[in-house]
Amino acid sequence: MNQEPVLSWKVAGIALGLLMILATAVAKPLGVSTAYVNTDAMVTHTIAPDKAEANEYLSKYGEKNSWSIDYGWMLVIGIFFGAVVSSVVTKRFRARQNPSVPDMWQQNFGSSSQKRWLHAFVGGVLLLFGARLAGGCTSGHMMSGISQLTVGSFVFGIAIFASGIATAKYLYRGKKL
Amino acid sequence: MKLLLGLAIGMAFGAILQLGGASSYRKIMGALLLKDMAIIKLILTGIAVATVGVYALDLLDLANLSIKPTYLAGIGIAGLIFGVGFAVSGYCPGTCVAAAGEGKVDALFTILGGLVGAGLYAIMYPMFKGLISHSNYGQITFADVFGVDPLWLAVPFSAILLLLSFKLLKDNY
Repeated sequence: MNQEPVLSWKVAGIALGLLMILATAVAKPLGVSTAYVNTDAMVTHTIAPDKAEANEYLSKYGEKNSWSIDYGWMLVIGIFFGAVVSSVVTKRFRARQNPSVPDMWQQNFGSSSQKRWLHAFVGGVLLLFGARLAGGCTSGHMMSGISQLTVGSFVFGIAIFASGIATAKYLYRGKKL
Repeated sequence: MKLLLGLAIGMAFGAILQLGGASSYRKIMGALLLKDMAIIKLILTGIAVATVGVYALDLLDLANLSIKPTYLAGIGIAGLIFGVGFAVSGYCPGTCVAAAGEGKVDALFTILGGLVGAGLYAIMYPMFKGLISHSNYGQITFADVFGVDPLWLAVPFSAILLLLSFKLLKDNY
C-alpha cells in the first residue's frame, strides 16, 4: 500500500497558496476554528437560548449570524466533503489497516481504538482551547496571518512548533521510527 | 450565495489538504519529529505564494485583509497549548475535518474534542480577558513595525520561504 500523498508538497503548496489568494479576493482569508464556536453557539442556542445569549463569548459569535450557519461554517463543511471526494476518487478512503488507529500509532502504541480515541479527543480539546485563546488556528493564524505579515501570527507559529516538537519528541522517546 | 461560495472554497481546501498528505497522522508527526519535512515545505510554499499574491491584490485594492490583534502573552500561551494538542492528536482544527472526510474514525474524536475545547473557552472567557488585553499591540503587521510598504517585505520574505522549502530543508531519517 503506497502511503505517500497523491500530490507532492510542491504542487499542494502552490495550490494552497493560490486558494488563499482566491479566498482573500472573493471573501476573506481562510480560517477554520471560528466554526467550532459557531457550532457550540448554535447547539446551545437550540437547547437553551437564554444560556447561549447570556454567555458573552458565544453571543459575540452567535448574534453576528443570527445563531445560524455562515460562510465560515460552510467552509469547514466543505473541507469534509472535499476530502471525501478526493480520497474516494484517488482510492485512498480509509487507507489504513484500522480506520480508528493510524498505522504509525499502532506500531508504537498498540492497536487499542479506545486509547487512540482518547488521545485524539484530548488533543482536540487542547487545539480548540488554544486556538480560541489565540484568535485563530493553523489556518487563520499561521497560514493566513503570517501571509499578511501579522506580528502575532509569527508568535503563534513559533509557539505551536516549539511545544508541538517538544511534545512529539516526548511521546516518541525511545521509539523506533 | 455566500454560503455556496464557502462550501466551494472549503471543498478545494479539503481536497488539497487530503491530496497533499496534511490530514495524514504519519506526515504530521513526521514533521513534528523533524524527520519528514513534506508538510512543513507544503505550508511554507503556500505561505510564500499567498504573501506576495495577497499584497499584490491589495495593491489593486482587491484584497479583503483580516489582520488579527497581536496580544503577545496570550497568543504565546495559546500557541504552547495548541502545540501540545497538535502532537497528542496528530491533527489540527482543519486537518481533522479533512481526515474525518477520508474515513479516519479517530479524527471524529478530535472534532468532538474541539467542540468541547471551544465550549470550555466560552465558559472560561471572562478569566482570560486580562490576558488578552495584556501586551496587546492591536492589528499590527511587520510592515507597520518597519514603516514600509508591505510588498517590500512580502517579496524577500516569500523568497526566503521558497529557498527553505526548495533548497535547505531536507528529510532526516
